[in-house]
Amino acid sequence: MRNDQGNLNRRRFLGGFAFASGAIATGAGSWVLRPEWANAAAGPIKVGIATDLTGPIAYAGNADANVAKMVIKEINDSGGLLGRPLELFIEDTASNESVAVGNVRKLIQRDKVDMVLGGITSSMRNAIKDPIVARGKTLYIYPQLYEGKECTPYLFCTGPTPAQQCDEFIPWLIKNGGKKFALPSANYVWPHTLNVYARKVIEASGGEVVFEEYYPLDQVDFSSTVSRIISNKVDVVFNTVIPPGVGPFFKQLYEAGFLKGGGRLACVYYDENTLNINQANEIEGLASCLDYFKTLTKDDPVSAKIQAAYDKDYPGNFLFAAGSAATGTYRGLKLWASAVKEAGSVEREAVAAALDHAKIAEGPGGPAEMVPGKRHCKMKMYTAVAKGGNYEIVGRSEGLVDPKEC
Amino acid sequence: MAESGLAGLAPAGQKTVRRKLLPIVEILTLAVTVILPFVLQDYLTVFATRVAILALFALSFDLVWGYAGIMSFGQALFFGSAGYGVALLGRDLNITSILVVLPAGMLIGLVFSLLLGGFLLLGRHPASVIFVSLGTLTGSYAADRLARGWYYLGGQNGIPSIPSMTLGSYEITEGPVYYYLALGILVVVYLLCRFLVRSQFGLALAGLRENEQRIAFFGYKVEHLKAIVFTVGGTIAGLAGSLYAFHEGFVWPNMLGVVFSTQVVLYVLFGGSGTLIGAVIGAIIIEGVSFWLSDNYRDIWPIILGVLLLLVIMFRPLGLISFVLGERERVGSFGRAPKESRHAAP
Amino acid sequence: MANALVAAFEILSFGAIIVLVVLGLGIIASMMGIFNFAQGEFVLLGAYITYLAYSHGLPVWTGMVAAPFLVGALGFVLEALIIRRFYAAPIVAMLGTYALGLIIRESVRGLIGGLYLSVPEPVGGSIDFGSVHVSAWRFVIIVITLLVMVGCYLLLSRTNFGLRIRATLENPALARASGISTASMYGTTFAFGAALAGLAGALLVPVFSLFADLGIRFLIQGFVAVMVGGVGSFIGPVAGAAVIGTLSAALPWVMAPVAADILVFVLAIVFIKFRPQGLMSGKGV
Repeated sequence: MRNDQGNLNRRRFLGGFAFASGAIATGAGSWVLRPEWANAAAGPIKVGIATDLTGPIAYAGNADANVAKMVIKEINDSGGLLGRPLELFIEDTASNESVAVGNVRKLIQRDKVDMVLGGITSSMRNAIKDPIVARGKTLYIYPQLYEGKECTPYLFCTGPTPAQQCDEFIPWLIKNGGKKFALPSANYVWPHTLNVYARKVIEASGGEVVFEEYYPLDQVDFSSTVSRIISNKVDVVFNTVIPPGVGPFFKQLYEAGFLKGGGRLACVYYDENTLNINQANEIEGLASCLDYFKTLTKDDPVSAKIQAAYDKDYPGNFLFAAGSAATGTYRGLKLWASAVKEAGSVEREAVAAALDHAKIAEGPGGPAEMVPGKRHCKMKMYTAVAKGGNYEIVGRSEGLVDPKEC
Repeated sequence: MAESGLAGLAPAGQKTVRRKLLPIVEILTLAVTVILPFVLQDYLTVFATRVAILALFALSFDLVWGYAGIMSFGQALFFGSAGYGVALLGRDLNITSILVVLPAGMLIGLVFSLLLGGFLLLGRHPASVIFVSLGTLTGSYAADRLARGWYYLGGQNGIPSIPSMTLGSYEITEGPVYYYLALGILVVVYLLCRFLVRSQFGLALAGLRENEQRIAFFGYKVEHLKAIVFTVGGTIAGLAGSLYAFHEGFVWPNMLGVVFSTQVVLYVLFGGSGTLIGAVIGAIIIEGVSFWLSDNYRDIWPIILGVLLLLVIMFRPLGLISFVLGERERVGSFGRAPKESRHAAP
Repeated sequence: MANALVAAFEILSFGAIIVLVVLGLGIIASMMGIFNFAQGEFVLLGAYITYLAYSHGLPVWTGMVAAPFLVGALGFVLEALIIRRFYAAPIVAMLGTYALGLIIRESVRGLIGGLYLSVPEPVGGSIDFGSVHVSAWRFVIIVITLLVMVGCYLLLSRTNFGLRIRATLENPALARASGISTASMYGTTFAFGAALAGLAGALLVPVFSLFADLGIRFLIQGFVAVMVGGVGSFIGPVAGAAVIGTLSAALPWVMAPVAADILVFVLAIVFIKFRPQGLMSGKGV
């Protein structure tokens, strides 16, 4: 009878609902790296990583997660910090700010981590910094190159700033490209703010900005832009369009004959991971300025060691590259570890005070030093050019470059 | 209340008197949601607050679709606009008092839904369902693109770091306090909607749902009725949007866009439209299941969610609530039954 | 002058891309009255199959030839299993196909690891008309689109099969009474619509690169194009696609891309409001 069938379904439904709510209440765990030994006395130190494991920026996020695993394992293998092991909690920010905030809350409120490192795009950083620093009262390290002007207390940046990426790079571009610049950009905070700084340096170095335009992030048709670049005889395209638009953009530029006509592409986040987005001939001669390139392993033994360790543990498509925040992650974790050792505890105040002037002698691309009072990091910078699908270093900084922030 | 009113229409062989389950479901849900913070860990309470706000949002859609037959794929437009509006109030004018921002959110939702609803629904020719749904979809999409492109609104980034909502000098932060605030508002709005759909206005709406042409012939201005419901729905969505903005602490273009709009449609579809409580339950279940799935099956959880949704749409298009409630309770009963109910049935 | 030629070419090629995507959507909407929210994901599948072929060492064009057939076959299966339950309720159809699209999209995302992958075009380089360089591949896309359109038109108007399809389009009840199996017509139509989307995806992927959200990009534009053009005929959606595609490509040349984006949709909705039947009303070819 129909009634009986209804009762049966209802019973099953309510039973299922009860099970589901029970499961939700207890809360299953996310990705956790538990150390094999745990000092019962004080418990492990909890490190939280919030990065893009899925989404358009996943090529970078996965690399960062791998680096974090590598560094934590290395620290644990040599005895941990303050005699305690490190426990790693990784959450996916999914290139989706709404999901990210939810998952970051898990790190702060459920896992109660002692520190969070992560966020790649500036919009992600802006979305998660509040739950971490203000509401969560936790230390936050941001590892990626960005537009600067992030002076929030307890937020430390270990990636390059516009001063580090533009001050020497743009004069090099003018000398090796030309005076007329175009600034095609993605429409969000990083390109807007970076372009203000870049324009200053371009004009101070004798160059000229022919046009500056902003596009929605998912725009894939750039025909009008390309046409404007060609007809204005632009020499250097200082690009801040990010995936997914950057691949089609460079392709369309190439097809219109930009490179053939002697033009130069410049993109400060382009690293080994993004080289795969286009065919090699489409980005021939592309110039980038970062804190590390894989080709440095030929003459820097420290970089070679780090790169080899990463490649051994994580062979595959997610490369250890500077534009993907991987070097910033390495640097950030090492600096934090040394700060914890100096502070003798994981309390936010103590660690922040120690991190303020932390230094590491060995890092990818060279040593690194936090600038006291500024929460930004000095590092060596390298200018490289893409040739046949690989990078060639064409310029090195004199020493550690000042980030000139805050 | 009238059970026998529609008893004459029951198919032969079925019992003509059934226990009324809808109030039981409603009270059960209320009881569970009230004691939740005492049972859950703190961060799950924060999650539950978010679900409560989304349930309010789903309620707005159920009103519009379940009771007036308007398939609005653009509810997120009102939700997001209110969110952006109050975020701008907080960022530029430093206004965070709950007494200002919640009415402001409702006002923004009201104005936008009045404009869009007026444009789409009113006019010489009655608008087809497809046109309204695509029109609202386009509105939501256009708002998303606008917010993404306008740097004053933060562009792709949206507006981060919204300060906490305040009542006088007291800051309403996330946790049990915000939870009970959201839940309280949800209960009040729910009761108001319940009252609305069981009133004479709701009777006209029921007629509209059953047979639009006939209701028009009776002299009801069908398009005006729809526009009113649409506006009420938009106002509620605006209220939900302002609550969401202050709870999450940031707004971004996706809040206005098509994916968010479709999400609320899925909540109501899953739970069951036309019952109000179905919308709430649908939101709770989908959000809860997504949350649990994303924890345990990190790589494939969207696929599992999609499969679940497809199965429900294919085999149980009336939603999960139809396991519990009969068809008659979905349609609702009105006022008191006339004495000779059987003969009065058309 | 050269600039105008380049502009015209770019606009034409973008219009052609939109037409290819919308053609399938329009055919399905005209025939079965449902808006297929998964059409974008069929485009994605076509792109993915092309990438698969390329990544296994086969020449790109083999993937491009295989894509429409494979996606069409999948469409046929999906129609039989899932889609045909929705014909009675167009709104539920939209949601059901949305869920289907979600499954396909997330599956592809998982398979490609959420990355952006590039596929080279079979015919590379550029064609030079004097000082004007145009992308050779985009030119090929325009040519193929024209061929496909002409082929569809001939199929519909000159063949027996096309006659049966038109009959089902104009009057399903009468067609059924005349002995035409509308069920198999619907199945074939859906498969055909899916195949067209697969072809569009295959041709597009060298231009736009492969990523999981490729399909959503075209979905809204596709719906608006179908509404503007008029549901119920073959030429209607094509006209709508041509208009929307041309507007979307042309307006950014004269105003900011963001404003252009929105203006196209606003104009389309206003147009449909005052002319609900679209550009080309009436059924048939």
